[in-house]
Amino acid sequence: MKPTTPVPRQTRQARMFWLVLGLTPVILGLCVLMGAAGIGLPDWTTQPVILRLRLTRVLAGFLIGAALSCAGVVLQAILRNPLAEPYVLGVSSGAGLGAAVAILTGFSALGAFSVPLCSFILAVLTLLTVYRLAGPGGSRPSVFGLILSGVMVSSVCSSLLMFLVSVAPIEGMHSVIWWTLGNLEVTSESLLAVGGGLSAAGCLAIWALSPELNAITLGHEMAHHLGVRVKVMVAVALGLATLITAASVAVAGLIGFVGLLVPHVMRTLVGPDHRRLVPAAALGGGAFLAICDAVARTALNVEIPVGVVTAFIGGPFFLFLLHRRRKAGGME
Amino acid sequence: MNSALRLEAVSAGYRDRTVLDNFSLDVEKGTMLGILGPNGAGKTTLFKVLSGLLVPRSGSVSLFGQPVARLAPAERARLVAVVPQELDIPVAYTVQDVVMMGRTTSLSRWGQPSAGDRQIVERAMVYTDVADIRDRPITELSGGERQRAIVALALAQEPRMILMDEATSHLDLNHRLEIMQLVERLNQENGVTVLLISHDLQLASEFCRRLVLLDGGRIVADGRPNSVLTEENLRRVYRCAVRVHEDAETGGLSILPAPRLPAARVGHGIGVHVVAGGGCGEDVLRRLTLCGYTVTCGVLNRGDLDAEVAAALGLETALEQPFSPVGESAREAARQLAAKADAIVLTSVPFGPGNMANLDLLEAMRAAGKPVLIMQGIETRDYTPDRAAVRRVAELITRGATPWRDLADLLARLPAAASHPAAVLQEPKRRQLQCFPKSRTSGTCPHQA
Repeated sequence: MKPTTPVPRQTRQARMFWLVLGLTPVILGLCVLMGAAGIGLPDWTTQPVILRLRLTRVLAGFLIGAALSCAGVVLQAILRNPLAEPYVLGVSSGAGLGAAVAILTGFSALGAFSVPLCSFILAVLTLLTVYRLAGPGGSRPSVFGLILSGVMVSSVCSSLLMFLVSVAPIEGMHSVIWWTLGNLEVTSESLLAVGGGLSAAGCLAIWALSPELNAITLGHEMAHHLGVRVKVMVAVALGLATLITAASVAVAGLIGFVGLLVPHVMRTLVGPDHRRLVPAAALGGGAFLAICDAVARTALNVEIPVGVVTAFIGGPFFLFLLHRRRKAGGME
Repeated sequence: MNSALRLEAVSAGYRDRTVLDNFSLDVEKGTMLGILGPNGAGKTTLFKVLSGLLVPRSGSVSLFGQPVARLAPAERARLVAVVPQELDIPVAYTVQDVVMMGRTTSLSRWGQPSAGDRQIVERAMVYTDVADIRDRPITELSGGERQRAIVALALAQEPRMILMDEATSHLDLNHRLEIMQLVERLNQENGVTVLLISHDLQLASEFCRRLVLLDGGRIVADGRPNSVLTEENLRRVYRCAVRVHEDAETGGLSILPAPRLPAARVGHGIGVHVVAGGGCGEDVLRRLTLCGYTVTCGVLNRGDLDAEVAAALGLETALEQPFSPVGESAREAARQLAAKADAIVLTSVPFGPGNMANLDLLEAMRAAGKPVLIMQGIETRDYTPDRAAVRRVAELITRGATPWRDLADLLARLPAAASHPAAVLQEPKRRQLQCFPKSRTSGTCPHQA
């Protein structure tokens, strides 16, 4: 008998996956218990509204966190770089601009689908623009190129958004600013139903693409050799990632870095195989955003926007990754 | 149908460039075929056409009797697998994860891999000897292990043909051999057709029964290694002289770049007069001197770059005043030097009215029966008003002067000393290279022996 054989990586990663799966409901439960008045369930009989508010809020956090995290996984697989993320690539800002246009023009009155639709259209346009600007003439753009053009396009979108806000009627302003910082306070349950539903469906569809996503991380040519319809698959996967990003932004505004931080942590826990990574990232992202929101609600006397909390954790994390990769020299 | 691969009149290329033009090739099932040729010969384009990455503009490509254009990606992946030179994998997949990707088209979307898929992957890992390292991240493997894992990935596709795209060129000798033996075994035991692109002519000749030599998108030679890798073919394709040696014992070919050979003093006792100027003769003067020739030079102007080199090498030189046309006394000096030489060499010196006298010198020496060697491409360096130099050189060549292309070519054409010391010097080099075929016949790698 061999003394103390190390646990095989595969087994360890499988165990971690079950741990993530098991911990997520516990975390979500704790988030429901956390309130401004301390930990505990609000009295069901006297305060049914508060309980309902908390439940929808945790649900929104979970779905949106899952969506943003899955979108990050897809972008990282297709661009073959762990720094890709909807917020960094400007997709979120584009979606935000779309949503703001829908809200401020009154287009949103047409139904719960209108805001996500507007977000989606502008998010797709943004992604195409960023990709186009990053790489000259069809060549595969470098990561720095992508990040740089992502930041630029993102700030153009933000300033357009600010322009719309400043010319818009004054009463809408506070809510729009709150919303650009990320806010899980659900104003319309039908919007949550549509946005959350789209996000959940998108995550499942992405999970179904796992074998192809795996192959694509070996490079587009190699994926072709392995029998993947690369062009179709890339278009579908990017479309799904953009769709769920747009749906999340339409519901909760701009929440950054979830798609960067969570997939990275999950990759070290459950391994990079997408068949396991996608569901783990969804669960982990959901739990992470729910916690961040609970902190945002309860940490101070006043509520802070949840996007502030995620950026506070995610920004330094992004810089850390960037620094480490540059030191490793594997940037291109 | 006995052909694994058939290309008929295929033209293919990129946006503004046709690489393969009217290209035809037929490869029998179970062949191990080596595709050789210099950079830009069309090897990679050929592979891209075969693997469906590049759609040809015209012509037909079929794999095992099926047109590539009509194959679904998943079907194609079951026929052809590709082992690239180097696969950049940005995330730390385990070896098993990577090999499992060979089953991409048959994996279930959500559930565990089926027992069949698992068995195929297991077999591929055992075959390539990566089963023990299945749990290691691919990013932490050595070059040889990594490439074995990539071969396992290709095997997991259960392909009927494997394309090796310079798959061993970044490996060291023993790992190169290891991969090639692995692929050869697949070819012999499982009847997998193997096409390999390689820059290692020797390795290809060692493992492939058929070689195809490409140049400029065309097949220059096709057949058994010893009929394809001839000195003549290689000189034509690689544009440099090489020496091919067939080992009497093993039949293995060893190929050496020839310019390295005449470093010995093959020119001992032989005089060469060089017509140069403006720095174009520097290399020729230096190399000929190194090779032991008694070199003379002229006519050159004082202060000319070549005149300085000649002076530095201590060569006898016929000189003219700076920036002056060649006069009578310099002409006579050069004539005397050339008359002592056994051969006259014209370098890539540009001609204008001022130095046409040097062509008279060449003509006189040719008439005297001395070998005259003229560097090709006079058209590009004739600055005489009426293109007189082009005409004169053409005349010289029709009357028996020899054109030469590069230094190696020139050295091959110059007369050499009777006892060829290069043959002696070459001996130890050749022996070193022999360790390769010998180790194969005994069936072990050199590092294991």
